[in-house]
Amino acid sequence: MMLARVADSLYWIGRYVERAEHMCRLADVLLNATLDRTESSGQVADMVISAITDGHNDAPLSPWDAALAITMDSENGDSVTAALARARENARQVRDQLTTETWERLNLIYLRVTGEAAARDFSDAPSQFLHDIIADLHLFKGAADATMSHGEGWGFLQLGVFIERAQLIGKLLQAGFGRSLGRPVTEHAAMTALLRMSCALEPYLRKHTADIQPSLIRQFLMFDEDFPRSLRFSTARIEEHLSSVGRNVDLGGGAGPERLAGRLKARLLYADPEALGGEESDNLVATVLEECARLHAGIYDTFVAYSLEMRLPA
Amino acid sequence: MRYALSDPAHLSGAHAAAVKPYDEMMDPTGEVRPHYAALARRVASLADEDLAERQRLLERFFLLQGITFTVYGAESSTERIIPTDLLPRIIPATEWATIEAGLTQRLRALNMFLADIYSDQKILMDGVVPRELVLGAPSYRREMQNLFVPHQAYANVCGSDLIRKPDGGFAVLEDNLRVPSGVSYMLANREAAKRTFPGSFRKAGVRRIEEYPDLLLSTLRSMAADWRPNPQVVVLTPGVYNSAYFEHAYLARLMGVPLVEGRDLVTHDNMVYMRTTTGLRRVDVIYRRVDDDFVDPLTFRRDSSLGVAGLFNAYRAGNVVICNAPGTGVADDKAVYAYVPEIISYYLGQDAILPNIETYLCREPSQLSHVLANLDSLVVKAVGASGGYGMLVGPHATQAEREAFADALRANPENYIAQPTIQLSTAPCLIDGAIDPRHVDLRPFILSADKIRVTPGALTRVALRKGSLVVNSSQGGGSKDTGVLGEGDSQEARP
Repeated sequence: MMLARVADSLYWIGRYVERAEHMCRLADVLLNATLDRTESSGQVADMVISAITDGHNDAPLSPWDAALAITMDSENGDSVTAALARARENARQVRDQLTTETWERLNLIYLRVTGEAAARDFSDAPSQFLHDIIADLHLFKGAADATMSHGEGWGFLQLGVFIERAQLIGKLLQAGFGRSLGRPVTEHAAMTALLRMSCALEPYLRKHTADIQPSLIRQFLMFDEDFPRSLRFSTARIEEHLSSVGRNVDLGGGAGPERLAGRLKARLLYADPEALGGEESDNLVATVLEECARLHAGIYDTFVAYSLEMRLPA
Repeated sequence: MRYALSDPAHLSGAHAAAVKPYDEMMDPTGEVRPHYAALARRVASLADEDLAERQRLLERFFLLQGITFTVYGAESSTERIIPTDLLPRIIPATEWATIEAGLTQRLRALNMFLADIYSDQKILMDGVVPRELVLGAPSYRREMQNLFVPHQAYANVCGSDLIRKPDGGFAVLEDNLRVPSGVSYMLANREAAKRTFPGSFRKAGVRRIEEYPDLLLSTLRSMAADWRPNPQVVVLTPGVYNSAYFEHAYLARLMGVPLVEGRDLVTHDNMVYMRTTTGLRRVDVIYRRVDDDFVDPLTFRRDSSLGVAGLFNAYRAGNVVICNAPGTGVADDKAVYAYVPEIISYYLGQDAILPNIETYLCREPSQLSHVLANLDSLVVKAVGASGGYGMLVGPHATQAEREAFADALRANPENYIAQPTIQLSTAPCLIDGAIDPRHVDLRPFILSADKIRVTPGALTRVALRKGSLVVNSSQGGGSKDTGVLGEGDSQEARP
């Protein structure tokens, strides 16, 4: 049993924390790309910027400015600082539901990125700054995993994490390989950058060795069974957590978000990666993004903002 | 350790000689009192840097835990911790026994008083307390008349402010029966003190206060109707922007009950439910940290969005219990306060164990003229105000301030009471690296339902500005850990 408002806040903590971590990685790769002036660094910058702007890049930013904006811009709701501030604000509202260990981790990150020294730390050693945030976010996730009950609240937190993750990786795939946006990546440096942004470089190398090819990257990020950021892995977790939090809700015969999640999971589980052409892959990624948006709305309607008339005691 | 007793030189003329404040640690001859001896030795053995390091540790603990309040600026907002002092305050067992007996007696009488004025009003019939004083008080709630309150426990949680007078005796400065706050600071201070002086608690014989959340929960559960076998308790908070939000979340977490806001609750057929992910769930007891006015827009303030429409009717129907009951504020009204000794003797036939501070009711013409003639030595308080606002500390005020207050007094005498300026006792505090006396008060917390329990500990509030007598956190006050020594333990506690 859990308050609807609390479930909503936990879900958003999951989303914002995942977003902050992802944006840190994007900013770090961007900053790396500024170090060498080659054709491929331009490709990397284009790809990142199109991933964060959904391709609507009206006023072109330099890679450094873009990295600064992704990290520190408080106006930009997707920036690392803004996401962390929102995660922490949500955590404050459900402070009673988080263990002290979990709360302390998040509060600590928040105090650092919003502190007076943050801007200076970033311009002095941006990579170190971003690396520390990612490490601290891993501590947060570890503390949550190790100290929170893996019950309903945990389920909502994880739902937020994996829906956000599936969307972020989906957008990255669109930016890297999508035909509608810019030019697909071909350069070796750009491909490794893409793997770095998905935190996938090392797992990829272990699976496919240093044979870096666009089609293998795409397959890995979409269909790998064990890699925790692949679309297949994320959608399987979404389905799993949704069926566990939905266990006690009478949804009237398997309707609602559970069905969406099950169908989405099956699509990725039973797709044939070898047979999938470029266009079909694009379409599948687009479907994942659409379905995640519907799941997001469905979770809200089912667990948080349900109509009272349906649930009044008899 | 260098520690000099405070010099009451800031007081004007004749008063200075008469009132040398009681110091918690040192007797007037400059000897350390026995129950402070061990602490004094421990502190003396620490270098200044050690003390400063421990102070930093303490502040970091509060910051990490999020025990902060937000200061809203023009562009951004910053979070500050409530100032917290490193050196614990120690209260010996014999003194605590008196406090405990006095507070138990006082709350028992005040609950009987509330039960009486919200039913037969015998005490008003007998003329012990003036009728218009009670029925005219803004905190009197007509809606509570003849409403059944389990155990006649109107004030389930009470935080009374005690002060120690120059002669060493404790007296009650005010009662707090509405939504008293500060208990989380009592608990957090203790938790922090255990980290900063880890040796202290091993042998000291300091009594435990950590059971408070358990006792609070059992107090609240005992307020539920007998036929509800597993009563659902919730804490109702105004929300995250309330300055006491940390405390609301803290208590909910330690009791293991949901922390709800008004928007999480709905009433239907005179029952109260909370909105959960799986539908509506019945609520039995609401520990509300929302003022009377905002509890139910249908019964009290119409523009309140913090409460729950229909809550009061559900309460009246006996389907939910609100703790503390609405309308308890009439018993801690600053004018009714003057009658508490009479209230105790009326219901219990006993003399008050803890005395009141002498109080002049400005509504009485003879007392008003005395107050006006002695404004330079009195503290004048507005009856309805709290938090250290709307008050004049005569000896510290300028002539112009006193004159302005005198005009306000003449214009609206019923609104004011006056008390002599009491030199609150002082306790050693770490101020800018040096140990210096600061004035302190004492707020113990009392729980009441089927029985009355006083937690053996308290929030000690500190007036951090030198010479200041105002301890409210809104006026530059801080707090410190307060250890009550156990009976039979050596008074030579090792801190």
